[in-house]
Amino acid sequence: MKLNLKFSLLLAWYYGFRTIKRGPSYVIASLSSPLTLLFLVYIISRGELVRFAIAGGFIGLVASVALSSSGDAAFLRLQLRIQDLYVASRVTPSDYMVGLTLSYLIFSIPGIVLYVILGYFYHIFTPLSSIYLAMILVLLVISTSSISFIISGSISHVRNVWGIAGILSIIMTVLPPTFYPYTYIPKVALYALFISPATSAAVLVQGIFGLEALYLPALYIIIGETAIYFAVARLLTRWREN
Amino acid sequence: MIETSDLKKVYKNGTVALDGISINIPDRVTAIIGRNGAGKTTFARIVSTQLMPTSGNARVNGLDILKDTKKIRNIMVSIPQEASPIGVLTPMEQVKLFLVGRGMSVNEANTVSSATLDELGLREFKNSPSDMLSGGMKRKVFVCMALAANPDVVFLDEPTTGLDPISRFEVWSAVKQLKGDVILTTHYMEEAENLSDRVILFEKGKVLEDGTVKTLLSRFKGKVRVELHHGDNYDVKVGSMKIKYVDSRDAEDYVIEGNTVKAITLDDVFLIHGVEVES
Ligand SMILES: Nc1ncnc2c1ncn2[C@@H]1O[C@H](COP(=O)(O)OP(=O)(O)OP(=O)(O)O)[C@@H](O)[C@H]1O
Ligand SMILES: [Mg+2]
Repeated sequence: MKLNLKFSLLLAWYYGFRTIKRGPSYVIASLSSPLTLLFLVYIISRGELVRFAIAGGFIGLVASVALSSSGDAAFLRLQLRIQDLYVASRVTPSDYMVGLTLSYLIFSIPGIVLYVILGYFYHIFTPLSSIYLAMILVLLVISTSSISFIISGSISHVRNVWGIAGILSIIMTVLPPTFYPYTYIPKVALYALFISPATSAAVLVQGIFGLEALYLPALYIIIGETAIYFAVARLLTRWREN
Repeated sequence: MIETSDLKKVYKNGTVALDGISINIPDRVTAIIGRNGAGKTTFARIVSTQLMPTSGNARVNGLDILKDTKKIRNIMVSIPQEASPIGVLTPMEQVKLFLVGRGMSVNEANTVSSATLDELGLREFKNSPSDMLSGGMKRKVFVCMALAANPDVVFLDEPTTGLDPISRFEVWSAVKQLKGDVILTTHYMEEAENLSDRVILFEKGKVLEDGTVKTLLSRFKGKVRVELHHGDNYDVKVGSMKIKYVDSRDAEDYVIEGNTVKAITLDDVFLIHGVEVES
């Protein structure tokens, strides 16, 4: 696979930064649900689980931005016909997907900064754990935006995507143990929730930050999931319509 | 050069959009005309590898649309009919991004995009967010991409719909500068006459007429179009307008009777096909 990285980076730069700059509401919207959950967890646990919620905030934020971007990708394909334009050119589906995925990572930057500040005040970082966290977030953005591409590529009208994205966002980011210890949920449910890359990411992060026991299989799960979701997305991103 | 053999497209809902198209398009600029829903966009999308045909095949400069997809994509630009720029990006950014996607360096893309946008009259707007542009300006941004890339084959699906007369002239002159083959669809007969060597008339997924502007008009040789205001002896009726084709020598008589006499244009080729003739 040979990527036109110049194109992907330029797309991410223009699309990611321009959107943030011109529409701060997008940033506020993407921050609102992880922050609301953080607040609830804080109140209900009387501050006890706040470090879990901060660690999970990174996961919830990145995953929900990437998932809600399915609407965005569908809009570009069906409404603006931008995908069609690039189909009939040298740009490959991977170039296009990587570019958009990087844009979503950029969309999440303001939120990540906010959580870094919170994490700093609650002393949850060590130099090593921050590096692991960054790596997990990269895997997470690739896997969740792949899921977005799978959705956006398989619908025939933009209006269908918003509903699906909303439901998915709950299954993929609210239900997984992003805001509380993963040991709280029954094993069976936990295994079922591994379908969401956010679950394996959260389990890993809790281990890495020393909040819970490190469950190493989660690492293999998230790597496997990322590879599978990306491959399926790449296959299903309908570069030529039927 | 484009050759198609028995190209068919049936959409999932059963609509037959192309019903066996076999044509050769050797000329530099070709216009595809036809009524709404005739199949022009479907044809352009299939030949530019955006859409799969149901059956049949096509070749673009000798390359098979099903097997040599990658090679075809390297030599062509295809501007979709309904393409609309990403609102937050400026025209400069959109054109640049497109060129970089085609393998140009960022610096070169910068120079070329700027020059092309100026040429199409977008100088003042090239650094404003695209969602602040008018509909016609948005359309021109896409024409700019084709112009700036200047590939071997260009598909333009209704490039001038919604453009003011000056903008239309700008686009025409830009199209004339393209080095490669151009296939454009249009509803403006004037545009087809002005730009193209060859005109293809689609109707209900079939090719009804295919030839140079001259040959298409030749059947009307020595005739004029009369829009009848009196009498019922017409050749074609569109709504309440009755049209009759008469010898130009008799034109004066019709004028004296109070009818409108007009010179023959490509519209007439369209009219004699596109409308059920009641007689
Ligand atoms: N995605 C689709 N699904 C089902 N039917 C379609 C689809 N796209 C087009 N059609 C149908 O196929 C036929 C040809 O459409 P097409 O868009 O090719 O026409 P056109 O000649 O480009 O028309 P216009 O001048 O209005 O742009 C029409 O009957 C249209 O309703
Ligand atoms: Mg059309």
